[in-house]
Amino acid sequence: MTFYPEQLRELVEEFQEVEDKRERLEMLFELAEEIMELPADEWSEQTRVRGCQSEAHVRVSIDDGLVHVFGAADAKLVQGLMGVLSIAIDGLTPAQAVLIPADFAQDMGLTNTLTPSRSNGFRNMYDKVMNEIRQQSE
Amino acid sequence: MSLRDQFPILQREVNGYPLVYLDNAATTQKPQVVLDAMNRYYSQSNANVHRAVHTLAGEATEGYESCRSKLKQRFNADKVIITSGTTEAINLVAHAWGRANLEKGDAVVLTEMEHHSDIVPWQMLAEERGVELRYVPVTQHFTLDMDAFHHALEGAKLVCVVHTSNVLGVRNPLEEIIAASHATGAKVLVDAAQGVPHSTVDFATFGADFMAFSAHKMCGPTGIGALLVQPEAFEEMQPFMGGGDMIEIVTIEGSTYQTNEHKFEAGTPRIAEAIGWSAALDWMDSFDLDAEHERLVDIARWVADEFREMGMTVYGRHGPDDAAVVSFLHPTINSEDMAHLLDARGFAVRTGHHCAQPLLNRLGITGTVRASFYVYNTREEAEGLVKELKEITEKFA
Repeated sequence: MTFYPEQLRELVEEFQEVEDKRERLEMLFELAEEIMELPADEWSEQTRVRGCQSEAHVRVSIDDGLVHVFGAADAKLVQGLMGVLSIAIDGLTPAQAVLIPADFAQDMGLTNTLTPSRSNGFRNMYDKVMNEIRQQSE
Repeated sequence: MSLRDQFPILQREVNGYPLVYLDNAATTQKPQVVLDAMNRYYSQSNANVHRAVHTLAGEATEGYESCRSKLKQRFNADKVIITSGTTEAINLVAHAWGRANLEKGDAVVLTEMEHHSDIVPWQMLAEERGVELRYVPVTQHFTLDMDAFHHALEGAKLVCVVHTSNVLGVRNPLEEIIAASHATGAKVLVDAAQGVPHSTVDFATFGADFMAFSAHKMCGPTGIGALLVQPEAFEEMQPFMGGGDMIEIVTIEGSTYQTNEHKFEAGTPRIAEAIGWSAALDWMDSFDLDAEHERLVDIARWVADEFREMGMTVYGRHGPDDAAVVSFLHPTINSEDMAHLLDARGFAVRTGHHCAQPLLNRLGITGTVRASFYVYNTREEAEGLVKELKEITEKFA
């Protein structure tokens, strides 16, 4: 079972309307600002997205039963995707948040999200966020 | 038909733009003759090798062994063990020679320039056997510290060195390394994955005891490579993998082994891949590799100079014997972003640590963008890359 929030669906559709991949990347880079920033002095081995080509860090907090994601990355592409994920899940309950599939980055025509690998910063970041939500809501 | 036109993949578009394939240090594209040879084997001659007497088995065996014959001829090598690639070839040395000849306290010399595949097998052996590993540092000029090498050599049993760095394109002073190693009684393993695609090596006079390389970096298929071994070192190797094809007689009490290269090729080998590689080797003879190499290094040198002028840092060197590899970093644009921006215009380049993390640690970086050129790349493609980098810099820096 998956859950595709309306704001995520709208974003994906917006990206799908743009034929040029570079334009899509530019749009994504602008979304890098959407994630609540995790300041560099809070980066640690616990926040590090492992296996990412670039330096990327995320932290999940669940306050009053709602998910909030903080993050930062050297690569604008990865931070932009953090921004998209943040738009999609910020303020959801953990039960809803973990149902968001990783497919959206692929649907946006940006990167392969299906295969975890050392070149797939987004997938590693997505997996880390989802695992943390599961662990914290257990 | 031009050399470039023989590669069907180069006709395709990526993200609406003509493909400019510049990730050749990772793997090269395959000419039509290689695709045809593999297809012909599967559609006409598919059978197992070295076993049956029927016609198909004979054709398959002939095709497989023709690869070995061509490798022996091309490299003037007496013993050619077919492996799955460079990584398996190096692991084979660690298991088949290392386990039989290295014991606690023996030293193996490596360099910081090695690919992970020439570090990790030795770390595993060191852990198992208590072998000492000594690493030769890389200087700020992207070369091996040869004073440190000579110092490290003292009492060492084996030296493992990369022919040409996959990150820097630097070709190491192998002749000096081999001569000095032999003078102190150490054997030498050369990781030639990046060297052999750009230059032919006379293995008999080159003098290295072992040389490993892969087919897929020289227009052959993935999944196959070779380990060349000098006769004396070959005699010091013990079988590593047991199974069919490597034995002479098997009884309940025990087994005896083949005495030739088959001793190290247990199981059904990579037949289609060997036939494809054989076709690639023939194809490589259809043009002047030395002249192509000169052309490509000229292109790489020009690209590197242009990049430096644009304010980028270039890691490596582009002398006549070095490889046509340009590793670079933009001062503000992240390397992963750069690769995606280039991909959006059809350029395939590599980013990341290139499986050489100790080298990047020494350089104080975590990754680079790498453009690597091969025989089908053109000056126009290089000019396109430089133009694209200028546009990206103007827009995103």
